[in-house]
Amino acid sequence: MSRGLFTLVLLLTRAAPAQTPDLKLPLKPNSVRFAVIGDSGTGERPQYEVAQQMAHYHELFPFDFVLMLGDNIYGSQLPADYTKKFEEPYKPLLDAGVKFYASLGNHDDPNQRFYKPFNMGGQRYYDFKKGDVRFFALDSNYMDPAQLTWLDTQLKRSDAAWNICFFHHPLYTHARFHGADVDLRAVIEPIFLKDGVNVVLAGHQHVYERMNPQKGIYYFVLGNAGELRFHDLRASPETVKGFDTDRAFMLVEISGDELYFQTVSRTGETVDAAALPRQTKRQQVSSQP
Amino acid sequence: MKSSILLRSVLFLAASPSPSQAVDPGALLIQDFENRVQQYVKLQKQMEATLPALKPTASAEKIAHHERELGERIRASRPGLEQGSIFTPEIAAELRRVIASAMQGSDAAQVTKSLQRAEPVRLKLRAGATYPHITPLQSMPPTLLMNLPQLPPEVDYRVVAKDLVLRDVKANLIVDFLSNAIP
Repeated sequence: MSRGLFTLVLLLTRAAPAQTPDLKLPLKPNSVRFAVIGDSGTGERPQYEVAQQMAHYHELFPFDFVLMLGDNIYGSQLPADYTKKFEEPYKPLLDAGVKFYASLGNHDDPNQRFYKPFNMGGQRYYDFKKGDVRFFALDSNYMDPAQLTWLDTQLKRSDAAWNICFFHHPLYTHARFHGADVDLRAVIEPIFLKDGVNVVLAGHQHVYERMNPQKGIYYFVLGNAGELRFHDLRASPETVKGFDTDRAFMLVEISGDELYFQTVSRTGETVDAAALPRQTKRQQVSSQP
Repeated sequence: MKSSILLRSVLFLAASPSPSQAVDPGALLIQDFENRVQQYVKLQKQMEATLPALKPTASAEKIAHHERELGERIRASRPGLEQGSIFTPEIAAELRRVIASAMQGSDAAQVTKSLQRAEPVRLKLRAGATYPHITPLQSMPPTLLMNLPQLPPEVDYRVVAKDLVLRDVKANLIVDFLSNAIP
């Protein structure tokens, strides 16, 4: 085989989506089902391939909505960009009635909050409830006192079994390029602990990383649904699973006191999967150093 | 914002030996800054009232048009939008002092690290110009936001290199900027 032909075959093999999605989620009745993407809006081929993979999995795992962890539209923010970097890649999901809930990244025009398909209701930060799970979309670009007060109030009011916060800048990560936002962590983590946040999802780092629970809270970074920073993760005993060699998205199912998740690569391989038990507030507090 | 000024004034008055010295120049400068911001926001609201209200829409074109048109109307109605119109030299000095103070305390290291890790941006700033969409908006360290005077939701602070920008959120307009605000 010539070198050119070999390269072509290799590229086609790498790009081809898996024929049969290997679903590892239990599909329990009445469970809350969603997908997660971060740093997706490049408009380039890998974003489309991840979106295609999501559509494949949606046939087996009919998730109702997708959380967007910011950097939803990179670069210019013209109407054509919304088409190329959001509407076209996710068209099969949008056509199937899947809703998208966005948070803002540093590459996003804050006026994206008025874009109806992002379901932000014109707000930089907002919350919504699905089943027994309350979701809090935060604007980590601009964590001003008004937002902190709002978050504290809304978390205290939450009667959901699960509280999940999603935003752009990670509080914990072992990716080299940006690192964790330590100032954000210093002001927001005490609220998470006091008010009983169970799971935190962030992007910004163009990798996938699942941390050991930090002070009892489950932390995920997923910033490689469009962008990728190859081999950016440094080894750490705090990392349960890292993936920095291709793009990925997450599928999540919550039923009762269990959260099941599966992280899938652009090519359809399962990168990570597990079942996590719901923590109680007492467990979170007792695990603080 | 008002409560912090009130508290500072009360504390100053409590420590003051005589009524003739009972003026906190810092609090007065912050009050002046807030008044200037309010005047700008009033103008922004007046201009926005001349446009169809922007509500959540599936049309990215409508969002872009609103942002662009609002910016143009503000620029047209306020041709004197230039550096120093809100960050006057006196206000600038006070805000530099506030920022330096926030970055010298026990939180200094985390604020500095946060700024370094926030994907710092470089941009030639001009008051009245549109903030270019292709340039990311650097995240603001929350500790800095807690120390700076709080703003109404129509405007926000942004850091560009060492400068502090006052940005119109809806028009995506650089209202004013403070050079070398970050030590």
